[in-house]
Amino acid sequence: MTARRIGAIVTATGALLPLVLLTVYSFSRNWFWPRLLPAAWSSRAWVYVASPASEISPAILTSLWIAAVVAAISVAIALPAARVLAWVEFPGKRAFFFLLMLPVIAPPLASTMGVHGMFLRFGLTETVTGVILVHLIPAVPYTILMLTGSFTRFDPDWEAQARTLGAGTLSVWRYVTLPAIAPGLALAGVFAFLISWSQYLFTVLIGGGQVITLPLILVTFQRGSDEAITAALALVYLAPTVLVFVLMAKYMRRHA
Amino acid sequence: MLTPASLVLVGLFAGGVALAVIQSAGFFAPAGEHAFTLQHYAAMLLNREFQLSLMLTIAVAGIATFLSAAAGVALALSLRRIASRWPILNALVQVPIAVPHLVMAVLLINVLSQSGLVARVGYGAGFIGAPNEFPVLVNDPYAVGIIVAYVLKETPFIAVVALAMLARIGDEYEALAATLGASGWQRLRHVTFPLLAPAVVSASVIVFAFIFGAFEVPFLLGRPYPSMLGVVAQRRFTSIDLAERPDAIALSVLMSVITAALVWAYLKLMRYQIGERPTLF
Amino acid sequence: MRRFAAVALLAISACKQAESPRLTPAELPNTPWDKIAQAARGTTVTFAMWAGDEERNRLFRSSVSKSLLREYNMVLHVVPLADTADVINKLLNEKGAGKLQKGSIDVVWINGENFRTAKQAKLLWGPFADALPNIRYYDDGARARDFGTSVDGYEAPWQRAQFVMAYDTSRVTEPPRSIDALGSWIKAHPGRFTYVAPPDFTGSAFLRHILLHFGGYSAGFQAGFDAKLYKDASEKAIQFLTEIKPYLWRRGDTYPSTLKELDRAFANNEVDFAMSYTPSFASTRIARGEFPSSVRTFLFDRGTIGNFSYLAIPFNASNPEGALVAINHLLSVEQALDLSEASQSQFPISLDKLSATERKRADALRRGPATMSNEELAAHFANEPDAGYLTRLEQDWLDKVLRR
Repeated sequence: MTARRIGAIVTATGALLPLVLLTVYSFSRNWFWPRLLPAAWSSRAWVYVASPASEISPAILTSLWIAAVVAAISVAIALPAARVLAWVEFPGKRAFFFLLMLPVIAPPLASTMGVHGMFLRFGLTETVTGVILVHLIPAVPYTILMLTGSFTRFDPDWEAQARTLGAGTLSVWRYVTLPAIAPGLALAGVFAFLISWSQYLFTVLIGGGQVITLPLILVTFQRGSDEAITAALALVYLAPTVLVFVLMAKYMRRHA
Repeated sequence: MLTPASLVLVGLFAGGVALAVIQSAGFFAPAGEHAFTLQHYAAMLLNREFQLSLMLTIAVAGIATFLSAAAGVALALSLRRIASRWPILNALVQVPIAVPHLVMAVLLINVLSQSGLVARVGYGAGFIGAPNEFPVLVNDPYAVGIIVAYVLKETPFIAVVALAMLARIGDEYEALAATLGASGWQRLRHVTFPLLAPAVVSASVIVFAFIFGAFEVPFLLGRPYPSMLGVVAQRRFTSIDLAERPDAIALSVLMSVITAALVWAYLKLMRYQIGERPTLF
Repeated sequence: MRRFAAVALLAISACKQAESPRLTPAELPNTPWDKIAQAARGTTVTFAMWAGDEERNRLFRSSVSKSLLREYNMVLHVVPLADTADVINKLLNEKGAGKLQKGSIDVVWINGENFRTAKQAKLLWGPFADALPNIRYYDDGARARDFGTSVDGYEAPWQRAQFVMAYDTSRVTEPPRSIDALGSWIKAHPGRFTYVAPPDFTGSAFLRHILLHFGGYSAGFQAGFDAKLYKDASEKAIQFLTEIKPYLWRRGDTYPSTLKELDRAFANNEVDFAMSYTPSFASTRIARGEFPSSVRTFLFDRGTIGNFSYLAIPFNASNPEGALVAINHLLSVEQALDLSEASQSQFPISLDKLSATERKRADALRRGPATMSNEELAAHFANEPDAGYLTRLEQDWLDKVLRR
């Protein structure tokens, strides 16, 4: 059993086990000690999730839209910022870096109420725009961090050379820089998407109940103790992200 | 080029934190506080529960981070070559990252509790006769459940970071070392690990900070006393007595400061060790 | 067609709301109900409600929405909540930031603890409850005090709750019907009982039963905070809890963190009792396949604590007239019957206040196999002690039982 085989098995198990368990729970009834399998099966949870009363479809669309926009904006903001952080030294750089890491370091309680207060004062609450903005707060630091690494490993001389050969700025970006950092860029975008997709506390506070995303519905049922519906909702929540991962893997293969 | 946008974000967030600091320093109107005071900070620091929880939190976050980093690097090393042949493995390794912590915690309870799936397998195989004969793995004094939850969730994260770094570095340095006569283990130790270090260190810092301030997993999988700091803060925050809220905010600010200090010390140490500023890829 | 009408109404109401200033609490006593109902016609009312129950969600989306539209031309917009405390936080921040108008929520479903916080921070619009025509159906006690805090008309009682215990008839033949009997049972069956750690709502309620028991269920518990009564009763209560601690599940080293955890341990044969404030909870779990069908509920002979959950109006509601009409509508006998029928929850109105036909329907309300009758629940009803006992008891439990 080579290390590679073990690695592959561990990976597959780690990925599939939660999905399989969730699926079984979403269909199970009367699964008590000491049974290894449920005593009965039922589609009640999925019937509810598929019904209009669950209000899942609008929530999925809202979450998708917000996460996609957050990913796009995060990357757009992070690109120039990462470039500077990787290549340029300037006074106060350490301080800026620290400020940037703040959303990563500070526990939610320290900031959320204060952030809510600020958003209220700027009239940004209870709108999708406000939620997108607040999701950027955790997403941008991660994205900048990831892209800084990409730029660090990318020699600025490449860009300089391309310019001496007569390429304009846009061409330099398109043919030299972006292809070099593309894998890191794609991964950063996916992570930004994931971060927005999973936000609960910020959405609840800033959205004020007017913006309903998938995590809100999931957490509601998780606290409400309906096991089967929670499991079904968790699978609905995971499906798009797994799809994104698979698409990314295919994309990376083509660009390896 | 640092763009006004990132400054705006930083400003919004830093503004939020500043507001929190002000509220914790005695200016919390709903509880009728209008004067500067450090009583909330004192109440926290001198509290025995805080001290116990602080030690518990540092221990759990430290152990979980270390295990995740080790396992993540090991996983990445074992996958690096076959991942290019079977890209689906890249997708699979990322799946646990997408599973919400809350869901992972509930799944672990269902699997590891005394009447959980593993215990039932034990019962079926005749090892135990009743739930209370199964070892206590969740809500236990050694935070086993909490650590397992975080290791399962954060190992893939660090593995993904390490895999991306490995793809970027390529084989050249290791191939070179091999031609110079270095053995597999020597190559790992003197070539691969130092090259991976900046990215893995950064990722570990993020993982540590996250676990340190977390609430949901420690709440579901831990004990009421002593509990991790995130739980202590949340409990005070949601108390029906609004006067306890500033205590909770003070505790959160303290937690941020402690995390920042620990991270700063760790990065200084790493910089000294590896001579390079940590980055994430 | 109906959807188009709703949209058109929304558009009209948007213009309408822009013109007329909203009703203030001071004006309420002098405003006839007809005028309020008229002002509410054609508006949208936003209702923030805990949304973790599939039956209730379905009901609100269908029949409640339709009846509001049909009778008052009002559109109902439900905001799902995972936790009522989220709304309280939101209102707290909004008040702090000066957002005193155009709040997005008109009605909120609220319970004791959150009401106390909301009232303390002046987050509610009111008083209003006594102005509602349908309030006459509800008990004076519920209208006056909520969880030991005086209501003063800032919220209207809506749904009734009463603490019940659950047991599995296939494991326990005769459940202990008093605290003393429970204590003996626990010592005879080590490791088979536990309760949720306070400050959880239900876990805290369990402690209050012990306090009531050792305080002789004295009426003094409702008459404000009596330090001597508390001292005498709590000393014995804490002693009881300390004595049983080593016989609890996990030897009292830890407690379930949520009620769901206790349910799981109960259903899977780790412990033999569960508890809840919802008398129908066991039937609901059985129907979902989360409890074995042999589970039944029981009460303590001397009574279990009952209370109400309420409907309130946030201080910055943008549609207070609509809120008043909607709340009144939900309080009506017909709506109460519909809700009890759909979610199999306890019927909140005393039967002697009903007409003959209404009473017939109330008597015919379905109950799950594990739900006790309204008569039995009423016969074993005990009032909530004043809120002062709650906070002190929780603190004493934390200091003297948990952290030892």
